[in-house]
Amino acid sequence: MFEETIIAISTPLGYGGLGIVRLSGKKSLSIAKKIFKPKKQKAKIKPLRPILGNLYDFEQKEFFEEAYLTYFPQPSTYTREDMVEISCHGSPIILEEIIRIGIKAGARHANPGEFTLRAYIRGRIDILQAEAINDIIQASSLKQAKISFKQLEGSLSRKIASLRKNIIHLLSQIEASIEFPEERLRISPKQILKTIENTIQGIKKLIESYILGKTLSKGLTLAITGRTNVGKSTLFNSLLERERAIVTPYPGTTRDYLQERTKIKDSIFSLIDMAGITTPSHPVEKEGIKRGKKLLSDADGVLLLFDTSQNETLEDFKLLKQCKNKKPLLLFNKIDLPLRMNKEKVKDQGKNLPSLEISALKGTNLEKLKAKIHKIFVPNQNQGEEVILHLRQKLLLEEILDCLRGGGRLLKEGYTEEIIAEEIRKIIPLISQLTGEIKADEIINDIFNRFCVGK
Amino acid sequence: MNTEDEYDVIVVGAGHSGCEAAYAASCMGLETCLITIHLETIAQMSCNPAIGGLAKGHLVREIDALGGIMGLLADETGIQFRLLNRSRGGAVQAPRAQSDKALYRQTMKTWLERIPHLTLFQGIVTEILVKGNKVTGVMTLDWNRVFGKTVILSPGTFLNGLIHIGLHSYSAGRANELASRELSDNLKKLGLKTFRLKTGTPMRLHKQTIDWKHFTPQPGDKKPIPFSFRTQKELENKIICYIGYTNSKTHEIIRKNLDKSPLYSGKITGIGIRYCPSIEDKVVKFPHHSRHQFFLEPEGMDTEEIYVNGLSSSLPFEIQKKILKSIPGLDQAKILRPAYGIEYDAVVPTQLYPTLETRKIKNLFLAGQINGTSGYEEAAAQGLMAGINAALKIKKQKPFILCRDEAYIGVLIDDLISKGVEEPYRLFTSRAEYRILLRIDNADKRLIKYGYRYGLIEEKEYEVFLKKQEKINKTMAFLQKEKIKTKSNETISLKDFLKKPEVKLENVLEYKKFKFNLTDEEIRHIESEVKYEGYLKKQEKEIARIRKIDKEKIPKEVDYGKIPGFTQEVREKLEKFRPQTIGEAKKIPGITPAAIVNLHVYLNIQKREKCST
Ligand SMILES: Cc1cc2nc3c(=O)[nH]c(=O)nc-3n(C[C@H](O)[C@H](O)[C@H](O)COP(=O)(O)OP(=O)(O)OC[C@H]3O[C@@H](n4cnc5c(N)ncnc54)[C@H](O)[C@@H]3O)c2cc1C
Ligand SMILES: Nc1nc2c(ncn2[C@@H]2O[C@H](COP(=O)(O)OP(=O)(O)O)[C@@H](O)[C@H]2O)c(=O)[nH]1
Ligand SMILES: [Mg+2]
Repeated sequence: MFEETIIAISTPLGYGGLGIVRLSGKKSLSIAKKIFKPKKQKAKIKPLRPILGNLYDFEQKEFFEEAYLTYFPQPSTYTREDMVEISCHGSPIILEEIIRIGIKAGARHANPGEFTLRAYIRGRIDILQAEAINDIIQASSLKQAKISFKQLEGSLSRKIASLRKNIIHLLSQIEASIEFPEERLRISPKQILKTIENTIQGIKKLIESYILGKTLSKGLTLAITGRTNVGKSTLFNSLLERERAIVTPYPGTTRDYLQERTKIKDSIFSLIDMAGITTPSHPVEKEGIKRGKKLLSDADGVLLLFDTSQNETLEDFKLLKQCKNKKPLLLFNKIDLPLRMNKEKVKDQGKNLPSLEISALKGTNLEKLKAKIHKIFVPNQNQGEEVILHLRQKLLLEEILDCLRGGGRLLKEGYTEEIIAEEIRKIIPLISQLTGEIKADEIINDIFNRFCVGK
Repeated sequence: MNTEDEYDVIVVGAGHSGCEAAYAASCMGLETCLITIHLETIAQMSCNPAIGGLAKGHLVREIDALGGIMGLLADETGIQFRLLNRSRGGAVQAPRAQSDKALYRQTMKTWLERIPHLTLFQGIVTEILVKGNKVTGVMTLDWNRVFGKTVILSPGTFLNGLIHIGLHSYSAGRANELASRELSDNLKKLGLKTFRLKTGTPMRLHKQTIDWKHFTPQPGDKKPIPFSFRTQKELENKIICYIGYTNSKTHEIIRKNLDKSPLYSGKITGIGIRYCPSIEDKVVKFPHHSRHQFFLEPEGMDTEEIYVNGLSSSLPFEIQKKILKSIPGLDQAKILRPAYGIEYDAVVPTQLYPTLETRKIKNLFLAGQINGTSGYEEAAAQGLMAGINAALKIKKQKPFILCRDEAYIGVLIDDLISKGVEEPYRLFTSRAEYRILLRIDNADKRLIKYGYRYGLIEEKEYEVFLKKQEKINKTMAFLQKEKIKTKSNETISLKDFLKKPEVKLENVLEYKKFKFNLTDEEIRHIESEVKYEGYLKKQEKEIARIRKIDKEKIPKEVDYGKIPGFTQEVREKLEKFRPQTIGEAKKIPGITPAAIVNLHVYLNIQKREKCST
């Protein structure tokens, strides 16, 4: 399958003014020559030199668009194969047309990620980088794009490399104690346990960053709840910066829920406007409420609204109790109207919960609200900390964690080092799926670098 | 010896490797000639007077199960015995023994002299005789030609050996023994790639010039454990070793004189063993250590020579004396033989088949230090395998190759031929993927069948093994069947009870008497089998899975040029060797695990595509 020449649009559809179509494979240039004719008739296509010309439908024998073509000979290309890039105005129709005639001329439509796969297969990039590139293409938020770039530069690879080093250290500690019983190294089980625990901490941090990665690529879900008519839909609309939910002065307008993606600061959020009904009067509502409850418990964050122009009600407290464990942000809405609510009493019930006074209708404190949402619900990302973006990596890390915990547990139960080693050695094939293989020699080298052994 | 005769097997060099090789080949009924520089130095221990230790002791047990001699001889001539890692599990326990060097040499010589089909011959081999690309014999320094169908080379550290003491150096294979320069040149001429390695040995002291009260005694085990499954006699500890330490004064002397070290002054170019560092190395590499441990080990019963394990050095003799002066108890010690370093040629082992035959020259086998290893046991193991395989080749039988999951010998040879070596190779238990499986207590169970098959294990010995196995099986069944109530009031089988980390078989006896009269050896075996049961089952499954993949066929018509992701080197190698199975592809030197995965995946995709179209 890697013998064929592939073609694909390499800029996301519907984005910006410029579109790029890429070809990769042995026949890239010959296909390009069929579908592209230089402006200057005698002009030759030279490596790495963009050349202006017209795209040509060789079946209909007509030119259809002006474009630049650049030829990149192998092996110093992204895929290490011959590649051609055609850049033109990014209208989806034109881009699709280029693909169509490219296929007619002998190319195959690339499978998703196939360019990157080829780069990987040909040894151009490591697997982590391959995944990062895919993320850039899919990046739906600025921050994620930045993280992807960072990863591309190998910062995640570096992080994993350091984890790999820790594992080697741990293994060499255990192995040294086994291989050199005569040398009084005094490597106690306690010390080994300490190394295991330190390694566990490091991995946990990496795993935590996966959650961050997930939220950044898929968006955090943020549920807006509160009793009927407190202004949920109004807030929903003003956070979306467009009309989506129907706002009426009549209670119960939003029967089910609405969900929309929006950007708050540079992160993607998926906002949910919940049905504000707690006692259903109709089977349809019942169903809606059930679904709403599930949404609420799955949400990454909850905004709980109160109408300060009304007296607090039992329902307000019931809702507060219901979602207390989700650590909601309490929003006292309609502050543009005269105050009727005993806010202190509500706040007392929601001990230690963050709160803010707003007017969804007038937009009061909306910016503050956004900042607060970001601060509370976007997981903390330390400066310079890398992010794990892939489930596969996370699962591997979790498996490694299990091995470490298993080893630690056995050690505590009094099992001897060679058994602990069996548990820890299980990590070797796992970590080689994240980064380079760990070879026996590396562990032995580490032993001799750290311990003065051998006679 | 009649030089007109043609031998089946010629072995060059009667070191630890050559002796096993010659022994195995002649026991397999082949006319064998063992040529060595001095008959007096047969099986000389060039360095420490000890055999065994972690991984090395494992090797000796395996050699023994295959019918080799090292284990029997180590038991016969041992003067102190210890089982290492007693506080840990059976998989990482290994025997180690101090040997009487002279007795070891003499006994080996006597044993070999009395073996039918084996001829010992004193001579210096200068040339390998080759016709076409096949070996025909060897030539000695005095122009004797000895013809043979196969030749096993095991010249140890002698190939172009160069000894260093301080900044002085001289050509030698061991202290004051002739180096083999012609042979080394000849190998290069034959097209074998060689490289340079280095090692070293400490000084020997006169026992009566040491003030022993400064040192801590280290006695042998109360109940010594033999290397060999076949040793009948009671082993006896005859000597005590002692432990001492260097001090900051010693280190200062060394630091001040590093410029006189051939290594640190840049005179030695060979790559040294980190596994056996000189005292200079230790001081330089670990400057924060205030002292380094050493052992005082007698070289034998009929000698006053004491080996100073841990003070290996290539500093000048004068400095060696100063070093001793700085250590209380050794300050008056007389040096009988100075410490020295040695550089020598080794042959790049990736040029070998797993049988240890060279790829370049048919019927030429290499074994021991020449393949880049270090250590008596590593050498002996290779010698045995080369001897068996040379014999099998002549008998036109299938070669004998041990897998990595079968024996440390398999790990050792596979590492050598598939990865090559950059520095003297020493075996460690951590090099084995299946450490729990490769134990001293089951070496016979793993390997004796082969020794028996090739005639190296006698009928009687094999029967003893079968009886032992029967007894063990019965005991295992008993442990499985019988249930007890523990102190915490749970009802479990004896076997499950024995699985607890703190429980020994003797504790099980407190609950239930059993009639089986078990030896210590058998007890250790049963404990291991029970305690490791879970791991063993898992590893066996994994091995079966891998074996299955190894057997997968590579279609003859496969076009390696079409498989993506191969480096030029991998592609060329696969095209050249055209392996028939994945397992064979794995054995090709320079083929990486990643390339194997790639190949396997590709073949499976092809298969699936074929099925779907
Ligand atoms: C100074 C020194 C220090 C060492 N230190 C250590 C150490 O610290 N740790 C360790 O594990 N190992 C050490 N060794 C290595 C250990 O001695 C060897 O690994 C082991 O002996 C190798 O066995 P072998 O059979 O390959 O060769 P050897 O035991 O060296 O035997 C080679 C035999 O071949 C004979 N021979 C050589 N050339 C010819 C020829 N042309 N014709 C006929 N016969 C020939 C020699 O006479 C000798 O009998 C040391 C060796 C030396 C010399
Ligand atoms: N004065 C004022 N009215 C508001 C505010 N927020 C919402 N409202 C009004 O309250 C009524 C109910 O709003 P809606 O968003 O539909 O409430 P929901 O039922 O919680 O979705 C509408 O008439 C809104 O205009 C606010 O901050 N101030
Ligand atoms: Mg609403």
